[in-house]
Amino acid sequence: MARVVILGAGISGHTAALHLQRQLKSKAEIIVVSPNSNWNWIPSNIWVGVGKMTKDQVTFPLAPIYKRKHIGFRQAKAVAIHPEGSPDNPQGFVDIVYTDPTRVGEEEQLTYDYLIVATGPKLNFAATPGLGPDANSWSVCTAGHAEQSAAALETIIEALKAGERKTLVIGVGHGTCTCEGAAFEYTFNVEHELRERGVRERADVVYLSNEYDLGDLGVGGMIFAQNGFETSSKLWTESLFRERGVRAILRAHVEKVDPGVIHYEELDGSRHTLDFDFAMLLPPFRGVDMKAYASNGEDITEDLFAPNGFLRVDADYETKPFEQWAPEDWPKTYQCPRYANIFGVGIAFAPPHAISEPRKSPNGTVISPAPPRTGMPSGVIGRTVALSIADRIRRGDQATLRTASMAAMGAACIASAGTGLRKGSAAAITMYPIIPDRRRFPGSGRDLTQTSGEIGLSGHWTKLLLHYLFIYKAKARFGWFVIPE
Amino acid sequence: MEQMSDVDRSIAEAPLPTVKTLRRRKSLGYQATRFIAFNFRMMKMVTRAHH
Repeated sequence: MARVVILGAGISGHTAALHLQRQLKSKAEIIVVSPNSNWNWIPSNIWVGVGKMTKDQVTFPLAPIYKRKHIGFRQAKAVAIHPEGSPDNPQGFVDIVYTDPTRVGEEEQLTYDYLIVATGPKLNFAATPGLGPDANSWSVCTAGHAEQSAAALETIIEALKAGERKTLVIGVGHGTCTCEGAAFEYTFNVEHELRERGVRERADVVYLSNEYDLGDLGVGGMIFAQNGFETSSKLWTESLFRERGVRAILRAHVEKVDPGVIHYEELDGSRHTLDFDFAMLLPPFRGVDMKAYASNGEDITEDLFAPNGFLRVDADYETKPFEQWAPEDWPKTYQCPRYANIFGVGIAFAPPHAISEPRKSPNGTVISPAPPRTGMPSGVIGRTVALSIADRIRRGDQATLRTASMAAMGAACIASAGTGLRKGSAAAITMYPIIPDRRRFPGSGRDLTQTSGEIGLSGHWTKLLLHYLFIYKAKARFGWFVIPE
Repeated sequence: MEQMSDVDRSIAEAPLPTVKTLRRRKSLGYQATRFIAFNFRMMKMVTRAHH
């Protein structure tokens, strides 16, 4: 019986596991390896971070789901891939180390016929001295981090109620960060909460980002057709900042976070400091620390993984100037070029380049967003790779791989700007394609009929609906597969 | 601080929503229609992404 090992149980890895099990039933053994015991609907962490949801509302234990679906589960982290196996056995295997409290530190070698790397990002707080919940700033990257942020925010609100003035800084903690959308959401949810609690006038809310313009969101911004005009996501976002009285510092690379002081460099090379009482700064991402070895023991990590630690797949990684970037550079099948039975999905695959135009300060500091590949694309890619592997297990290695290029895929993004069934709001955005194609769509690179944005209460309803829908789906409840990724 | 001033100026010059627009963003009836319209658009996009 073929064995598929999936490293990671985030949106992409978990989606792949459920689809593989549904497709293959008893024809294959599916094993998920994840260092975390819980699944987390990360888009709702921003609501945990303002105390509007609890950790338990955005997470659930994976083990009972996998037991019910007859999927193997190891609470462990993968530390090395051996794609060529050992001198005695050519079958590939991975070295895992248990994080399961009952077996912590135990090691195991897991052989595989197919391997899906869905390890997500390593939260690289170490890239910026003083960054992160173990140092001088908060985070909402995990539900646990978000809970800590909520507690810190509550302390600030109490001080504001007592009549003090406070500065709250929310954004990204490095020039190469991604997930500006999450920083945007948390900014406006905090601002909304401050208004709801009657302390807004004593708080300065500052958004600190590596984006060149507001509304870039790591996808190079968008153009929308509205009321007979083409309008930019920049103007649209600036309007929201003006309406809500939020200050923005853009084109910034955070160099260091001291207690109460952020040190940052701007794109013109100038250096500044910003005092704060509360700071939630997202870390940059890199691939998890995993090695790769050939059968003779040779270290082939650099062959499998890009310098940023993400898995090389069927993308064009040739370094070329921004003007020559093309939609075809982006991967389609997510197959590892050197080993046909290894695939990289979700955040774990190495993107060929950014989507936003790359920029450097005169000091050589890169200050531009890395490409986002979370949420909907992650789920679609996970499902597509699962179906490809199911095809190959059923029909042999000649079965054609399915494709899911981000250059041929649209995405919907709901950016919360405050919670509440009557008072909430969100920016509801659709874009097609995710990767701009200026040959097909001269100008913005995207189809104006399918790229849209609107702000309102209905956006909040949609985000809340997706919260319940995707947790239902991830729990593999009745008819889960009908809900699209 | 020159770049920051540019950003501040740009935000200060951005269009402010009118009272009517703000009211519409909270109107239950209007937002119900937008909810349906957006979810329809999103489903079209999702369907396309799955093929």
